[in-house]
Parts: sequence; C-alpha cells; structure tokens
Amino acid sequence: MSPNSNNDDLSNSQNEENALWSIVGYLLSGLLIWGGIGWGFDQWLGTTYFLLVGLLLGAGASLYLVWLRFGRD
Amino acid sequence: MGVRLASEGGFKPPSTADFELPPVFGDNPYTTKPVFLVFFSVILVSVFFILASRKAAVVPSKLQFAGESIYSFVRNDLARDVIGHEFMRFVPYLFTLFTFILTNNLFGIIPFLQFPTMSRVSFPYVLAIFTFVIFHYVAVKHKGLIAYLKEIMFMPGVPKPVYILLTPIEVATYFLVRPLTLSLRLFANMFAGHLLLLVFILGGEHLLQGAIGLKLVSPFAFAFGIGLTFFEFMVQCLQAYIFTLLTALYIAGALADEH
Repeated sequence: MSPNSNNDDLSNSQNEENALWSIVGYLLSGLLIWGGIGWGFDQWLGTTYFLLVGLLLGAGASLYLVWLRFGRD
Repeated sequence: MGVRLASEGGFKPPSTADFELPPVFGDNPYTTKPVFLVFFSVILVSVFFILASRKAAVVPSKLQFAGESIYSFVRNDLARDVIGHEFMRFVPYLFTLFTFILTNNLFGIIPFLQFPTMSRVSFPYVLAIFTFVIFHYVAVKHKGLIAYLKEIMFMPGVPKPVYILLTPIEVATYFLVRPLTLSLRLFANMFAGHLLLLVFILGGEHLLQGAIGLKLVSPFAFAFGIGLTFFEFMVQCLQAYIFTLLTALYIAGALADEH
C-alpha cells in the first residue's frame, strides 16, 4: 500500500487488523442503514415486511462490499 | 436464589439508578463524582508522567522505567506499527487518549474511588468525537475533500446502479458506525463490568444478613466478586487499548493512499 513501508510483514499484519475491524463496521452499518430504510417504508406504508427485506438487502450488500474491499486482489 | 430473595422482598438488585450519582455541591449537575474523577485523573496522569520524566537518566529509576514503558508501548506498538512512517505526529494524542481512558477505567476497581468514569456515556461520546474529527481532518488534509469523499462513496470497479446499494453503507460506516461503536463499546464494557461487581458484592452482603443457610453461601458471592475484580482489571486495560488501537487504525486509513 504505502510506498515507503519499510517492513512488509508489518504492513501485512496491520492490514489484516485494519480489515478485521472494518469488516465488522461494514456488516453492522449495512444492517443498520438498509434495515432502517426498510423500517421507514413500513412506518410510511403501514406494512411489516419491508424491515425484513431491508435487513436482508443490507446484509447482502455489506457482504458484497466487504468482498469488493478485501476479497479481490 | 435471586428469585427466592426477591420473593422475600429483601434484595434490591443494582440498576441503572446506581450510576446516576447525586451532585456533591447543592443542585449543580456538574459536581457529580464522575466529573471529579475526570479532573482527578488528569491531575494524576500529569503528575505521574511529569515526575517520571523530570529527572531522566540513562540508568532509569523505577518511576522513570514505568513511565517510559507505557510511553514506548503506545509509541511503538500502537502508533508506529499501525500508522507507519508519519506516526510521530499522532503520538501525543494517542498517548493522552490511552493513559486518560486507562486511568478512568481503573478507577472502577480502585478502593474508595470505585466508579469507572466511562460508564457514563457522555465521556466516551466526547472522546469518540475527538477521534472522529481528527481522522476526518487528517484524511481531508491528506487527500483533499472531494477525493476523500469520492473514495468513501464510490468503490472503483462497480457497475453504477450498485452504488445505490453500497454508498449509503459506506457513508454510514464512516460517519455514524465508527464513532458510535467506538464510544458504545467502551461505555458498555465499563457499565456492564461495574454492574456485575455490584451484583456479586451487594448480593454477598445481602446474603450475609439472611438465614444461616444464606450466610454460608455468601462467601462464594464475595469470592466471585474478587475474581471478577481481576477480570474487570483485564477488561479495563483491554478497552483502553482497543479505543486507542482503533483511533490509530482510523488515522492510518485516513493516511493510506488508495485501496
């Protein structure tokens, strides 16, 4: 990543640690945001199933995002 | 056991009310115990490190050695290993953060103080806001505002419609989930730990006042309380470490050039 990193082992383990915490954050905010949007639709339309749709969508999207950020090289 | 005690109408389990301490002076809400503990921690940390660094010698005294161990831990293991070659700029903040949180956490098990300041959620909030402002500021300074926002919002190599799905998640992660998890993790750990100790120690005390059978089991409650105090010590150190580590990771992310 950074051109002047003097130690590859160091920056590797540091990247892994960084990835670990970022993944938790992404999964959490995926559920939070799309679940929240689904819940908002439920409140608006008087339905109950958009929350579930939103949660599933958020979980899927955040997993995809994690793969994009950390899975492909 | 708890059920039986409750049916006897005796034991009032500890609750959130145990964290809402009354003001010390009159009605002024800024004179509660946690506020004094925060000021005390600032004095304590300052005095300790001033004394430890005042007569710096090549052959260090015990005090100097202790001070330098903590400092080099934060500087080398947290700042340098995580942030990389620009780490020196952030050592003062990380060091202050670590020692401040650690001291305030340890107040939870120090006799007579016995209240973890960070179990009042406003204190972690403020610390998280500091970290939030710093890592965003560093990123904007380093990459430029537009480039930074673009990096957050738009992953390269994704078909355009997918951004509708992904951009909200990215934005939420950087601007909401990061500061929120940072503060709530610290708060919840300190809150739960203090509550746990209250349950075992107040429970043990209550058992001691009960019938003979209850008196006999009360030492076990106290023993658990003591065991959990050591466990709490571990959690308190760990939480101070994690808060500082995550701050360093966020700053490192702000300085990293591209994904």
